[in-house]
Amino acid sequence: MSESSPHLVVRGVSKRYGPTTVLDHIDLTIRRGELVTLLGPSGCGKTTLLRAIAGLVQPDTGKVELAGRDITNVPPHKRNVGVVFQSYALFPHLTVAGNVAFGLKVRGMARREIDIAVERALALVKLGHLAGRRISALSGGQQQRVALARAIAVEPDVLLFDEALSALDRKLREEMQVELRRLLQDVKATAIFVTHDQDEALTMSDRVAVMNKGRIEQLAEPRELYLRPASLFALNFVGLSTRIAGTVLAAGNGKVDVETRVGRLSALGNFQAGSPVIVAARPEQLRLGEQGEANSAAGRVRSVVFQGSRTLVEVDAGAGESLLAELSGRDGAIPRLHDEIRLSWPVAETFAFPMEAQA
Amino acid sequence: MMTRTAIIVCWVMAIGLALFLVVPLLVIAAASFSPTPVFDLPLTGASTRWYGRIARLDGFWPSLLLSLQIALFSTAISLVCGTLAAIAIARGKLPGAGIFATALVSPLMMPGLVLGIALLQGFRAVGFTAPWATLLVAHLVITLPYVARTMIAGLARFDFTLIEAARTLGCTYPGSVLRVMVPALAPSFLIAGIFSFLASFDNYPVSIFLADVRTKTLPIRMLQYIEEAPDPTLAALSTLILAGTVILLVVSDRVVGLHRMAGTSD
Repeated sequence: MSESSPHLVVRGVSKRYGPTTVLDHIDLTIRRGELVTLLGPSGCGKTTLLRAIAGLVQPDTGKVELAGRDITNVPPHKRNVGVVFQSYALFPHLTVAGNVAFGLKVRGMARREIDIAVERALALVKLGHLAGRRISALSGGQQQRVALARAIAVEPDVLLFDEALSALDRKLREEMQVELRRLLQDVKATAIFVTHDQDEALTMSDRVAVMNKGRIEQLAEPRELYLRPASLFALNFVGLSTRIAGTVLAAGNGKVDVETRVGRLSALGNFQAGSPVIVAARPEQLRLGEQGEANSAAGRVRSVVFQGSRTLVEVDAGAGESLLAELSGRDGAIPRLHDEIRLSWPVAETFAFPMEAQA
Repeated sequence: MMTRTAIIVCWVMAIGLALFLVVPLLVIAAASFSPTPVFDLPLTGASTRWYGRIARLDGFWPSLLLSLQIALFSTAISLVCGTLAAIAIARGKLPGAGIFATALVSPLMMPGLVLGIALLQGFRAVGFTAPWATLLVAHLVITLPYVARTMIAGLARFDFTLIEAARTLGCTYPGSVLRVMVPALAPSFLIAGIFSFLASFDNYPVSIFLADVRTKTLPIRMLQYIEEAPDPTLAALSTLILAGTVILLVVSDRVVGLHRMAGTSD
């Protein structure tokens, strides 16, 4: 099978629990060897979608295909998926090696082959020296690795991670994100991560699916997701932004002029004149001072937050609107609290979204 | 000063209570080795002849056998039924799960005497009079709460994701329960089994209403001996039962740990 052919296909999958629609006609195609994150707030359906792929949830409608096989009605034990659970779900009565060997024993593999496969999987997660330990004697990070080794050992067609890193503390989590991505790329695994942590999504994935209310709002590469959010929800969920409400005055050529309470602004977008919209820009696009054709607005500095390489400045632009700028010391002085300043940003980096879509 | 006094008072209380609980057991153990039929202090020697006489007690073997049978069967049945009921309570989204759990455990709080009379009347009313069977059913009422209580607590700590993990690793659903849930809950099963067995084995107040001349459990038989011939043979038997219980508890403690033996919670 070639690298780019579809490996996992989810087609029109829906799931309802009573009156609540948890999954609303989800379509998702993942290539072989791709790392994809389902990102969204709790209750957006991301975990249910993962469980539907694992076979732990039966969808009401739709199909799931894995490695060219329709698995919609295949029970979980015949799907050949590997799942790493949030609680790790390690078997407390077995040793580290016993946990990793579990799936292989169930498959009826010969004892010698099992030993070799277990050793290889534990070496992969750098836990070879702990093979004989009890699970209760391991730290959280080590347990996470055992869970990963157990899932990888069976050589699944797809690896599914359900908030698998969320129980680790911040520093360990960030280390694991990088290490896990490298490891999965090394073994050429196809993997889906479920998370509500945008940093994790941006770090780990080739593509990110932003989910909201049982739908995928946007499926894109991390960079595109950040630079070209497809919806107000995607904009809000990934990264920071300045958002100003207004009404479209004139439109044309994929651009709109918007009347707002901080003045007239231009943005990318196609709207009819008179439409209520939200105009938005990422904080690193905002610069101190005027620039030729750019949008600009003035106000008084409300807060200055030093963040190492950058400083986050919030400006009260009056009329209840505020601007958020991320300034690096290089382009000039960092303003002080209560300074009156003017900020400007390029029209090409200004988005407009329909007002009613605001969550 | 106050705190020191308080600590001393607490220690005296603790030691006093421990002695109060343990001394009678030591006395009975000492009495079982008495060389004379009447137990006297100070001891004037030691003899094991009373132990030899246990086996020759009138009706001892049938009673021991009956008590063991009833205790084993009721424990086995309770382990299966109690565990299933506990799963329903812990897992099933039953509307009145709390009420159901309380009802299941309620015989623990009921005086045995009341339970015995109630069961006797109940069985008579429906014409169920076979002594062995009535004893078994009655002992199920006694043992089920111990199992249910322990298993509800055990299941509350059990992560059902383990079953899902086993399923995604290639186990069928029943296979996952057998390979993962049963071994993970082994300590709870052991504790439930021990308490259930002991509760049945030494039960008197319920059994007395259901026993007849030919169907007498060991505790009933022992009370009969003490009325007829109060010699140290009974002390010897008691000491053996005590020793057996201690061994059982020590071994279990080695296996699952004392903190899990003491209660049903963490």
